[in-house]
Amino acid sequence: MNDTATNGDAKPEAEELVEIEEILQHLEDISFVAHRDTKEALPAIRPFGATVARRWIATARDLFFHDRESGKSFMRHSARLAEHMQTVELWLEQAARFKEWVNSNYALEGFMAQADRVYATWGEDGEREWAEIGLRWCARSLPDARAYFETDFEKLAGGRGIEGLRALIEPAETLFDERGLTLDAYLEGAPIARNLVGDQGLLSWARRGADLLKAGRSRGEAYFRLESDESLKLLLEALPGFRPRMHGRFLRLVLLAWLDADIPLADSSWKPGEGRPMLETDGRRLFMPAVMDSREEAIVATQHAAAHLAFDTYAQDDVQRLFERAGVEHPPLDDKSRFTWRPLFANYAERMFRFQVLFDLAEDLRVNACIATRIPNFLPRLVELAEQHERPEGAAAVYFDFALKAHQALLHGEEQDPRLTPMLEPDADVVTAWAVGETLFADEAFPEITIEERAEAYLPGLSLNQSLPVYPQRKRDGSLADFRDHEAHDEHKFEREKQEEQPQQAPEQAQKDPDADIQTPQQETSGTGGRIGTGIPQPAQVAKRAAPYVPRKDGIAYPEWDYREQRYISEWVNLYERVLDDENAELAASILADNRDTLKRLKRGLEMQRPQRLAPLRKQMDGDELDTEAVIDFIADKKAGLSPKAFIYRRRAVQHRDTSVLLLADMSTSIMARHPSGEGKIVDRVREGIMLFIEAIDKVGDPCAIAGFASKQRDQVNYYWLKDFNEGLDDTVRNRIAGISGRLASRMGAGIRHSLEAFKRSSSQRRLLLILSDGRPADYDDGGDQRYLHEDTRMAMKEAIDAGVHPFCITLDPSGSDYLPAIFGPGHYTIIDHVDELPRRLPEIYLRLRQ
Amino acid sequence: MKNLINRIRGVERDVIEKPGDAGDAPFYKPQGDEVEIFRAAYSKRLPVMLKGPTGCGKTRFLEHIAHVLGQPLVTVSCHEDLTSSDLVGRFLLEGEETVWQDGPLTRSVKEGAICYLDEIVEARTDTTVVIHPLTDHRRQLPLDKKSQIIDAHEDFMLVISYNPGYQTVLKDLKPSTKQRFVGIHFDYPAEDVEREIVAKESGGLDADRVEKLVAAGRKARALKDHGLEEATSTRALAYAGELMQAGLSPRVACRAAMIAPITDDPELIQALEEIFDAHFPESEAA
Repeated sequence: MNDTATNGDAKPEAEELVEIEEILQHLEDISFVAHRDTKEALPAIRPFGATVARRWIATARDLFFHDRESGKSFMRHSARLAEHMQTVELWLEQAARFKEWVNSNYALEGFMAQADRVYATWGEDGEREWAEIGLRWCARSLPDARAYFETDFEKLAGGRGIEGLRALIEPAETLFDERGLTLDAYLEGAPIARNLVGDQGLLSWARRGADLLKAGRSRGEAYFRLESDESLKLLLEALPGFRPRMHGRFLRLVLLAWLDADIPLADSSWKPGEGRPMLETDGRRLFMPAVMDSREEAIVATQHAAAHLAFDTYAQDDVQRLFERAGVEHPPLDDKSRFTWRPLFANYAERMFRFQVLFDLAEDLRVNACIATRIPNFLPRLVELAEQHERPEGAAAVYFDFALKAHQALLHGEEQDPRLTPMLEPDADVVTAWAVGETLFADEAFPEITIEERAEAYLPGLSLNQSLPVYPQRKRDGSLADFRDHEAHDEHKFEREKQEEQPQQAPEQAQKDPDADIQTPQQETSGTGGRIGTGIPQPAQVAKRAAPYVPRKDGIAYPEWDYREQRYISEWVNLYERVLDDENAELAASILADNRDTLKRLKRGLEMQRPQRLAPLRKQMDGDELDTEAVIDFIADKKAGLSPKAFIYRRRAVQHRDTSVLLLADMSTSIMARHPSGEGKIVDRVREGIMLFIEAIDKVGDPCAIAGFASKQRDQVNYYWLKDFNEGLDDTVRNRIAGISGRLASRMGAGIRHSLEAFKRSSSQRRLLLILSDGRPADYDDGGDQRYLHEDTRMAMKEAIDAGVHPFCITLDPSGSDYLPAIFGPGHYTIIDHVDELPRRLPEIYLRLRQ
Repeated sequence: MKNLINRIRGVERDVIEKPGDAGDAPFYKPQGDEVEIFRAAYSKRLPVMLKGPTGCGKTRFLEHIAHVLGQPLVTVSCHEDLTSSDLVGRFLLEGEETVWQDGPLTRSVKEGAICYLDEIVEARTDTTVVIHPLTDHRRQLPLDKKSQIIDAHEDFMLVISYNPGYQTVLKDLKPSTKQRFVGIHFDYPAEDVEREIVAKESGGLDADRVEKLVAAGRKARALKDHGLEEATSTRALAYAGELMQAGLSPRVACRAAMIAPITDDPELIQALEEIFDAHFPESEAA
């Protein structure tokens, strides 16, 4: 029990005891608390000898004088440390060193709170190193040292002992010197990041963060909290597994094929380190985690989630009954009219998770049995995945095994647990699942389960059914055919546009506001809501009296078709021709550079077509060689007594192109939406597409024009010329194309009518009007009546055909097939539901059309 | 049998030839009322337009019905360079003489055959004008070069096919041409009909595989407009069936007949594979 370590200053025991008493006395005079705490701790220290005790109390006093909080921390924890570590000298010396710094009390508190556990786990050497690293940080920066000591050492070590700790802290030490990285920021995410990228990747991950931190505190901290996209992306790149968001289109196609349902996919908020990634739904979209274990699991998960939608887990009436059963009269709705689930489980209080898992288990079995009849390999795949899946530990295993057994029985047609059989009845629904859940709940063989264990209780691909608020669904009975929920689409668009409005109004962009060239008339209206500036019109609720609105009339007037009255309203639309002056030379150059390969391929393709294009013109009046067939015809006709004209030559010459084309781009706000993959915007692809298009056409030599349109009510339709027929393709045109941006709404009819006027200037026989759109025609003043502008566009199309112009619509709107056939007629449109394909497809479509 | 011998001998067959026994008619399974419409149109010798996507059975239907009606069928596949003289005929030199040679259309008109202009929109516009007088009450074919007019044989009938796809936007038939025809719309057949067709065409593929193949093909059809320009056709299903019958494993046959020809888009390929693989588990060998 004697602590006989380096007793350089040891004195006779009596003297030591006297000194202890003196110090105690001194402390009593100064502070009641200090005296009390010291007295309380002293008995635990005394067994280590008088010298140690005297040194301890001296240290306590010094620390207390240095900083009252430090002293108190030291006193409070001492007894415990002495008892647990069976030594005092070690930590006493270490604690004493905290005196070197002012305000080191938090760090000391963290040190004292953990030292005994570190010692117990890693032994003396380990504890020394742990403390040493922390003390070095004290010398660098106290908040960092505090973060170090306050973070659980096990977490820092990541289960790899002192080795892991060293590996974790090393990059931070390097970067602290290099770029002033603070440890407190670093520690937020580093332990998780380390698990994902390994020790080697940690330094580069942290270096990136350190740079961001330097550039801006909040951005850098978000990076280290793993909240920013850039940090997640870096980590996810290192993460093993399948990335659903990179395969979103594939998964969507799979659902489309199996269930005939185009269900939008979105990113879930799952982050690495947050437990098992699961796929969730809000009834309108499926939210995919960034990473799932395998492709197989991702497929099962999307199919399973779609099954919940198809087989009425969220059907309004069923959910209503569910809540009634749970004793809640009306299911609570959130501000977006979605069900919130909490009250459903409220009765189960702390046993809620146990019930939730059992309820989900029953419901999952039901929808899986239903979907298995549609998708032959669904069950085999699910069972195989589950069988290969690592069996969870602890309580979750019981649930996991039970679920697996039920699915195995279902797959092999074996006998099912009798409590689960109601789920397989044809009339079973989510309420049945609740009842089955209750039955299972009564079985004490299912152990209590914690929220952490809960996720592990699910089979792979399956997930919590009631985690997100859900939009009420109508009863579908397995048919998702009408799922293309316009409301969802519109709302989605609405949200996207709302996101995009913000940056446009940022002050630094104010002078470049593309809406600026719309002269807003002086209006004395004050609204209390409503929204202006996007493609989907929302009537403003005008609370006060407004001055009468006088439509502008100084532009080019066009009529519009009113289907309600079945007549044209003359001079209804007021259109201005403008030249797009947002030129962007830099971007133009970079677009051309980025697409150099595609462009080369395209041009080579055209080159290859050349002999074909230069196919000899047969039966010409003059030319390079005789057209044998024509000669025979000629001679034969002559002999037969006719007097044929001597069209007997063939000529190889550039055939005069008689096709002219006008590309009319919808430049409404919606093209500013973010690209579905999250990188860039849709408009980027539009610019690329148009750029490739014009380069290709230039090569072909067809007369061509490019224009865009955007509108704000009927009296302000802007028609932007990017290139007129008589303009050559030069850098000005390219720069304008690069300068395309989205603004306002899309009054398509007026745009088409003005294009027809432009075609009058072109002498070609075949005239093609290509309309590039990303949604239905809409404007602010159509009063929410979609049909009005649809009908008008349809009439404009008719006018085009009458004028000898072939209209063709290329849309980026996946739900375009709902309304385009009615407007453009079947076969007169094509849908590019994958925006990345636009740059490649646009020239291609044209070349095919003109063949 | 006679056909077989002729084929072995390399016998040239005249384009206009009455079909043999009605019993030898090429297999065709009616999808709806197309047979009745065609028979009615035939009884009045009205021109017919067959519309529908590729590979849904337009040409087969016509071969079948011509056979059943006992009428010779003359098929002209139209292409860009097809001129009116290719259809109508031209003068040829023979020694010091010129000889008029009838084109396939003229022969059909004279001898009373069903003349089938396949993919008429591909032909030059001047060809479509030639058929106008044939498609109304006049039923005449003017031969400008010979300054003659031929009244059509009473059994003559004109049939065109027309696939309204977007490639044809610029060269759509003129409305004045279209409205001269009786239209019969074709689509991919109903599931049970399609099964029967695939079973028959593949030459006795077992019912289980036929069922899976057709089910998978129909699922794949849902991807049209989502990257697929042409949906999986009944013909492609029949090909896949034949490949299986020839010993390929179902998965390989599906890839070869129904994925590889129609798309190069990697995600689409994956999605299609997913569908076909689901119906044909890996364990199922050839």
